[in-house]
Amino acid sequence: MNEKNCCSCPETLAMASVPSQEWCELYDWDTALKEGTIFTCLNFPIFLADKGNSNLNTNGSALDPVQQEREVLMGKITSISFAINDLTLYLDTHPDCPEGTPLFYQLSKERMDLLSEYASKYNPLTQLSMVTASLNNSDYAWAEGPMPWEGGCI
Amino acid sequence: MWAYEKRLQFPVKIKKTCPKTAQLIISQYGGPDGELSASMRYLSQRYTMPVKKVGGLLTDIGTEEINHLEIICAMVYQLTRDLTPEEARTAGFDAYYIDHTKALWPQAAAGIPFTSLEFQSKGDPFADLFEDLAAEQKARTVYDNLLRVIDDPDTRAPLKFLRAREVVHFQRFGEALEMTKSKLDHNNFYYFNAEFDQQFYKPEKHC
Repeated sequence: MNEKNCCSCPETLAMASVPSQEWCELYDWDTALKEGTIFTCLNFPIFLADKGNSNLNTNGSALDPVQQEREVLMGKITSISFAINDLTLYLDTHPDCPEGTPLFYQLSKERMDLLSEYASKYNPLTQLSMVTASLNNSDYAWAEGPMPWEGGCI
Repeated sequence: MWAYEKRLQFPVKIKKTCPKTAQLIISQYGGPDGELSASMRYLSQRYTMPVKKVGGLLTDIGTEEINHLEIICAMVYQLTRDLTPEEARTAGFDAYYIDHTKALWPQAAAGIPFTSLEFQSKGDPFADLFEDLAAEQKARTVYDNLLRVIDDPDTRAPLKFLRAREVVHFQRFGEALEMTKSKLDHNNFYYFNAEFDQQFYKPEKHC
């Protein structure tokens, strides 16, 4: 679809122009996270990028099944949340996009459900998910779980 | 208002201690083109932006940059968390170790402390947006340089992600520039400063 909702002015002297991005094919959410964007048309890697193999689930195989399941759920939350981040910036400059807005609502709903699931099974990642997961009112679980910089779900 | 979420925007799982790499990467925490500088630049500029949607974009990108500095700090932390006394002395981390042990402190790779002189909030929409466009390019160059000298795949994955974000942000700031231009008369974009000369600024769509 060829929408022009982010207007471009005529080129003039002493001023730069950047063409507005049009909606294009999207990566699946796991690939998008790895590539750093959901938009296939915005991916401009450096030639060095393929040196070495990046592996997001580096400790996946060494984990016991329970822990692995936890990593998988965290992975889903990370991918969906990133897709929302990237989509948000697109919608900031393309607020009338007919494809982007419904996708934003769909992904945000999925993210909310995943955060609730994570909070009820493991520990809350957001304070709101303590409520949506219907945790016991007497359990203050916010301090539970690892800190994000520790490098794993444990 | 910001709400904390207990996860990283991109996972960091570095198994191998490498203080030398930490010493290079820390530049993207507190260096001249680092993520702290980026977030403070955008979050400072947004208040006086004449086009409301551009203020919104600066808020969202400024927020994402805070995620990025957390990713960089997590990398530095994991690269040095098992630092031995011997490595502290010999592995290229000694000067930093003397002042900060293994703690995080915003500085450039060459040891220069973080300072707000590294970014500008100028109060003119074109001056500020071109500063932002340039900042994304400079940060991309730093990530290019890091990817050129670092081999560990666990360290490269987040660096590649962060580099890609610089390109996306550049595109969005370019679109913000077009949005700003569209509210001004293209016969002379410099006739007045839309952030200051409010008597002239009529946010109409000109093109």
